[in-house]
Amino acid sequence: MIGKLSLNAFVALVAAFLVLPILAIVPVAFSAQSFIRLPPETWSLRWWSAFFGDASWRLTLLASLKVAALTTFISVLAGTAAALGIARSGPRGRALLTALFLGPVVTPAIVLAVALYSMARATGLVGTLTALVVAHTMLALPFVVLNVGVSLDGLDRRLLLAAEGLGAGSFHVFRTVTLPLIAPGVVGGAVFAFVTSFDEVVLSIFLAGPTVKTLPVRIWEEIRLEYTPVVAVGATVMLALALGAAGANRLLTRK
Amino acid sequence: MNPVAYRFGAAALLAPAVLIAVFAFLVPLARLVGLSFSAPAGPLAAYAQLLGDDIYARVFGNTFVIAIAVTVVALVIAFPVAFALTRLSRTWRAVVFACVLLPLWISVLVRTFSWMLLLERNGPINRLVVASGLADQPLALLFNHTAVLIGMVHVLLPYAVLPIYAALVRIDPGLLRASEGLGASGLTTFLRVLLPLSLSGIATAATFTFLLALGFFVTPALLGGASSLTLSMLIDSFVSERLNWPLASAASVVLLTAALAVVAIASRFVSVSAIAKGHP
Repeated sequence: MIGKLSLNAFVALVAAFLVLPILAIVPVAFSAQSFIRLPPETWSLRWWSAFFGDASWRLTLLASLKVAALTTFISVLAGTAAALGIARSGPRGRALLTALFLGPVVTPAIVLAVALYSMARATGLVGTLTALVVAHTMLALPFVVLNVGVSLDGLDRRLLLAAEGLGAGSFHVFRTVTLPLIAPGVVGGAVFAFVTSFDEVVLSIFLAGPTVKTLPVRIWEEIRLEYTPVVAVGATVMLALALGAAGANRLLTRK
Repeated sequence: MNPVAYRFGAAALLAPAVLIAVFAFLVPLARLVGLSFSAPAGPLAAYAQLLGDDIYARVFGNTFVIAIAVTVVALVIAFPVAFALTRLSRTWRAVVFACVLLPLWISVLVRTFSWMLLLERNGPINRLVVASGLADQPLALLFNHTAVLIGMVHVLLPYAVLPIYAALVRIDPGLLRASEGLGASGLTTFLRVLLPLSLSGIATAATFTFLLALGFFVTPALLGGASSLTLSMLIDSFVSERLNWPLASAASVVLLTAALAVVAIASRFVSVSAIAKGHP
């Protein structure tokens, strides 16, 4: 039994290692000083008012939310449709399409970033909302296709046959039978897509410009210079959103 | 529904996503490969420069070694955790699972930044080390290989745990009990029953972790700095500092080839979609 006890102790340590270090940014965000000290000697909300009071920081947060919303909208529509299309395809088509859609997942982000940056420069789209949305959608699409695909795999085809047998047209079947049953997959895919876009760093660094910049890009730039706790505030905002999304995912995709 | 309408419907459903995948993924990558042959000194000049220079060879080596080290450490930690997960009660399993899955929702930038705060000279870890007398001076825990290793293992550990757990959970516990019932020691049961049956999960975990580690950018850039240059950082400097597109694209092609080689080799042992789906 000593074996089991030490194993559980090890697992507890690893679980703490996974979660606790991330929380290091939170105390720093509430520091009263302008230099970084963890934990801070004195506490204050000054850097929170600095973050939300500064137009440039606010604009990056807004840009992040805008890009994430657009990315989610497009990738959910295209990805759900694609998952339905894959379900109707033969085995060879399915394999080919899966490879195509999973491509961005196995390709290193820096390679994707450089490839898209080069194309953006050629088309004059560097620093535009369009470039960021296209890039993030490309990254989020696989997750929507995967998520909806898993939901579709669990769908009992006989339900669809029964509905058609009772006289429902194909769109009616889709709307009243298929869609409600794959809703958890679609919603889960939507949450993943939003977080993927909001958290995205590497491609955004290259595609952002002086006027259109997402929050992670701004944080990345500031970290590499002399930075104040306002950066920790930005990171805490990102952390809060991620935690909110994880919670929303659990609530909304409960079957 | 008649078969023609069915097929046409499938094509129409797939069209938007395929267009995005083709024009936002395939075309830019193909263009990048083309750019790598566009050096003024000749089509293979960029590759010759990249593969011939000693400095770049060291960067390749460093990237490779870090990726292997991170994969090994992550697997060594992940296996016991995955194994314990199969044995825990429902509540504790849910708690540990939450701890494993939660970091995946958080941006790699935030996770890396938190390590910067913890590992810096005047950070809490160093203050503890000096105060407790373990060292006279703060340790250099940041901007070196150690920091990169810690940060990357921290980020990649969930990706290592999940596939191993998925494989372990499919093993019939009766097999382990039978082995022990026949008199095998714990170690023998582990080596001759558990390990062989979990090999596909370990292979998937190793592949995905190594693949991600090869291409990592944010973590080595922030935690390693100039002393631990990786291929992705090199690509970034070719683009951002030197605006040398043939060199940047050649280096990207090298990295991409390495990633594809890893996937190709691994696909003989595990299914590729399982590797990609190892990602939540």
